[in-house]
Amino acid sequence: MAHATHHHIIPKALLLKVFVTLVVLTVITALTGQADLGPFNFLHVPLAVGIAVIKATLVVLFFMGLKYDRPINALSFIIGLLMVGVFLAFTLLDMLYRGDIGNLERQPIRGPQIEQMASPTTAH
Amino acid sequence: MAGASEAITRVHAAEEHGHHPPYLQHHFVSAEQQFDAAKLGMWIFLATEILLFSGMFVAYAVYRVWHPEVFQAASKLLDWRLGGLNTLVLLASSYTVALAVHYAQLGNQKRLLQNLWLTIALAGVFMVVKYFEYTEKFHHHIFPGGNYAYEGLQLPYVGQFFSIYFVMTGIHGLHVLVGMGVLTWVALKARRGVFSSEYYTPVEISALYWHLVDIIWIFLFPLLYLIH
Repeated sequence: MAHATHHHIIPKALLLKVFVTLVVLTVITALTGQADLGPFNFLHVPLAVGIAVIKATLVVLFFMGLKYDRPINALSFIIGLLMVGVFLAFTLLDMLYRGDIGNLERQPIRGPQIEQMASPTTAH
Repeated sequence: MAGASEAITRVHAAEEHGHHPPYLQHHFVSAEQQFDAAKLGMWIFLATEILLFSGMFVAYAVYRVWHPEVFQAASKLLDWRLGGLNTLVLLASSYTVALAVHYAQLGNQKRLLQNLWLTIALAGVFMVVKYFEYTEKFHHHIFPGGNYAYEGLQLPYVGQFFSIYFVMTGIHGLHVLVGMGVLTWVALKARRGVFSSEYYTPVEISALYWHLVDIIWIFLFPLLYLIH
């Protein structure tokens, strides 16, 4: 009774199919990465990253068996990926738009309260 | 007195034969719980591994946005054929380690061991290719950062690309070496016949680690070798 384990065994044929797909995608990456896409050259990075994401997803779902695994494992992994997204997005936001918002001179922070506190001495 | 001790012995015997297989640690209720706990721990560890590499990927993104033309020119110094070959080698090793888990689940000791050794051999091929790539770079004085001194390509900031290249592929290579060590340990255990269709946790866990090493390389290959 204690020996009864019900782990999903991924069929050999499926593993082979995933491997062949990964090889085909690698060839596509290598070819498109070298090619001159003319007016569509801006697509190089999205294409390379997109194919890599598809390949990584195949590895995670079938080689690592996350598709058949307990949802808690997927959850802990996805939270990690979300954190990477936050890390990358906010770093790039800072880097690309730094200085765009309010090109202000360096000066001390002044608000109404500070003005009031300062006014008795300066007014008289 | 005698009756009590006899009863205890009987309980122990029952536990060992009934519910307590030798691989089940006493703080787990069942083998299933032990397996699930190990696997969850591994997935959390893999998330931290991704966070470790994300620091380097973010550095890559920042420097590439700053100096795209430098990345384009410096990337041409890498041999995409060797990078592509290594991608195929790692994908094949991921496939063989997935097969190793498959055969462990079926209790096929011979095929399990074969696929584990095959995975380790493919990891070795990856490291050999990497060794040739590195020595070729060093031969041309292509070093990280300020030590970069290749006459054929002199550009401001070109050392930054190679800092990123050597750190990312270096830490990835370190993971490959660690993976080879872990898989060797698992293979030696498999040879002693430790694993069965009921107990193969170390095979499963180290395979998960190996797939992650593969995934990191899936991203490194186009981002470093294929910049148009």
